[in-house]
Amino acid sequence: MAPPRAPRSLARRLAGPAGIGLLAVAGLLLLALSSLLGNQAVPVGVGFRILLHELSGGALFSDPCAGTGVSPAHCSALTFIVWQLYLPEVLLALVVGAALGLSGGALQGVFRNPLADPFLLGISSGGTLGAAILYVYRIGVGQADLYLPLFAFLGAIATGLLILGVARGRHSSVETLLLTGVAIANLLGAVLALVLLYNPVGGEQVTFWLLGNLGLASWTVDGIAVGVVLMLGTVLVLFGRDLNLLQLGADVAQSSGVNANRVRLHVILLASMITAIAVAFTGVIGFVGLVSPHVVRRIVGSDYRVVLPGSAIVGALFLLGARDVNYLAFPSSVLPIGIFTAFFGVPFFLFLLYRQRRLAPMEGR
Amino acid sequence: MTADSAPPALALRGTTVRYGDRVGIERVDLSVARGEFVALTGPNGSGKTTVMRAALGFLPPSEGSVELFGRPVGTLSIRQRARSVAWVPQEESLRDNISLLEYVLYGRYPFHSFLDRETAAERARVRELLHTLALEDRAEDGVLSLSGGERQRAILGRALAQETPLLLLDEPTSHLDIGHQLDLLHRVRVRARSTGVAIVAALHDLNLAARFADRIVVLSRGHRVADGPPTTVLSEDLLARVWGVDADLAVDRRTGLPYLIPRRIASERPRGAPSPFIGPVHVVGGGGAAAPFLRELSERGYRVTAGALHLLDTDAEVADALGVPCAIESPFAPLGEEVRARHRALLAGAKAIVVVPFAVGPSNLANLEDLRSFVAEVPTFLLTRPPIRERDFADGRAQAVYAELVAAGAIEVDDRAALLEGLEREVPRSPAPARAGSPGTA
Repeated sequence: MAPPRAPRSLARRLAGPAGIGLLAVAGLLLLALSSLLGNQAVPVGVGFRILLHELSGGALFSDPCAGTGVSPAHCSALTFIVWQLYLPEVLLALVVGAALGLSGGALQGVFRNPLADPFLLGISSGGTLGAAILYVYRIGVGQADLYLPLFAFLGAIATGLLILGVARGRHSSVETLLLTGVAIANLLGAVLALVLLYNPVGGEQVTFWLLGNLGLASWTVDGIAVGVVLMLGTVLVLFGRDLNLLQLGADVAQSSGVNANRVRLHVILLASMITAIAVAFTGVIGFVGLVSPHVVRRIVGSDYRVVLPGSAIVGALFLLGARDVNYLAFPSSVLPIGIFTAFFGVPFFLFLLYRQRRLAPMEGR
Repeated sequence: MTADSAPPALALRGTTVRYGDRVGIERVDLSVARGEFVALTGPNGSGKTTVMRAALGFLPPSEGSVELFGRPVGTLSIRQRARSVAWVPQEESLRDNISLLEYVLYGRYPFHSFLDRETAAERARVRELLHTLALEDRAEDGVLSLSGGERQRAILGRALAQETPLLLLDEPTSHLDIGHQLDLLHRVRVRARSTGVAIVAALHDLNLAARFADRIVVLSRGHRVADGPPTTVLSEDLLARVWGVDADLAVDRRTGLPYLIPRRIASERPRGAPSPFIGPVHVVGGGGAAAPFLRELSERGYRVTAGALHLLDTDAEVADALGVPCAIESPFAPLGEEVRARHRALLAGAKAIVVVPFAVGPSNLANLEDLRSFVAEVPTFLLTRPPIRERDFADGRAQAVYAELVAAGAIEVDDRAALLEGLEREVPRSPAPARAGSPGTA
């Protein structure tokens, strides 16, 4: 009855129950293996047993190192490394990657611009500036773990609000909003440079922040990050349909019942908050937010109901991959993750871009 | 559901919409009944799109009201509006390659809350809709792969999926070939007839408008200038007045509907559009001799005045169609003192005077006589072919005045080309707006 359709794409085949099962198993395996990667090598067999032991609350493998020749002292050290250092770091990479990818996807949708991402708009710069102010003025020196993320978070949120506030004209177009963001990003960059120029001591730490790192990872940090990103991210993903309609232009969207201004406000706020969480715990990690949505669109098309969760997944995998490759390539002296994502992401992005030009144009003209 | 007393689908009452200082539409009254197909037409910039955008609630009126089904559009929520009125815009950027089915389903947006999704029944209805638009085979294809005609039908489909009792179409056929134009409007009309949906379509093509619409509303520079069934609205006069186009009106014998065959542009500018500041050049003529010069000079960008002419004279009608300020006398009467005074006022404001080879009789001899006092100051061109003696019907008096004018410095030119050359030389194309002496129309 139905005319023949084009062969189903890889993505569609993977969307079936078998495909999802396969992906889930692969994902868990990747997660487990990643948790054994770090400055110090953990034997795979022991590492798996440690993970299962801890995950089961001690029910499985009451002595994970039994029969492996690993001494009990070394075993508890390995347990600490895997369970308290590596796994939290892996989880943080996943959640921050997801946050950045999702945020990038949502911002590209709301601005109808494939260049939009938390960096271009200065949201990340705001977070950095918040962190810089903390370091330079030595606020809450004793409780850096608490204050640092707080300041970064506030800096990023404040930037999002500032952009919205400045551009809050009656007929502020998407272009105005985007240019406002870019302008504010530049301003914040200048302020940051100024702050660092006169405070070289704090500057060193800030520079480290600027390059991004996963060093703050802990179960507490992960808990907060996962909770916030999951909650806000779910709401953001639900805006997929609104973003779809916004792609037709604000007027058409509005004639179809979309309150374009309100959608913009909500999406930018949510994306700012999610970015803020990421910046708060890991500093500035570039390129994940920009590249992830592009990858997703290449695979599944332009439906934002799929692009948003897809960007989160790709972002998570991207950052985890960057972390893993980083440890594999430089086991003893890892590079800051932000540097690595750029090294890793830029060639890939360019490859996509030029491949895309040869195939179907995705962004129109 | 629809009683006769039901409020109209769309009602503009004395509506004025401004864009800053510029007026989009001014005191426009427009009422569209349920189930009616109204074509909105007029030259570019006449306010068609403004009417639509006002109806959609995008542009709040600065005066008057805009009502959808009896309720001011401003009091409706965006969602309520989307359930009352759907819109096919002039341009819709389909940049992303989503499937046609998903795209048309966008039209179901106003029927869903933030959390729920399209039902299977809705999907079935949208497939049905695609079938009526002859797009069912393309349902799974990406919108970017659609042809121009398919794309336009897809956009129509998205609007129809909103299942609104009012549908606005802004130049829905502008990118389509003639076959697809007819096809699209036919589908719209069938749909409207079968569902009682009111339709307002901005259409450039008057013949399409006449063919499909129950009523034609003509806008010109923000004003409603005609409103009625095609048979009463369309006229040669309307085309000349509103579009500045000369056209022949004919009646299609199969449908009984009028259609227009445009012949040529009456003037490069629509009537009354801001004049360029070249000139003014005053043309003296009558009996149809001035008409080609009035056209040519207008088209070349000169601001043209004319006189003194007789009402119903071809020259007078052309001058009227072109919006040329003119001194006009009653038919066949000798030029009266009042008309001559006005003629002299026009002559006084002129940067050059062109005397076309018109037939001079006792009733219009004054046209030549009045030139005597201006020849010395204003460059005056006398066209020599046919020679004055062949067109002197005033017993030699015309030839006498003519000789007098030549003696006083009037320039004789043989033909059109020589005239244009002379004007080029004598009338500066300076953009300086010499507003002061601007002769008003009586």
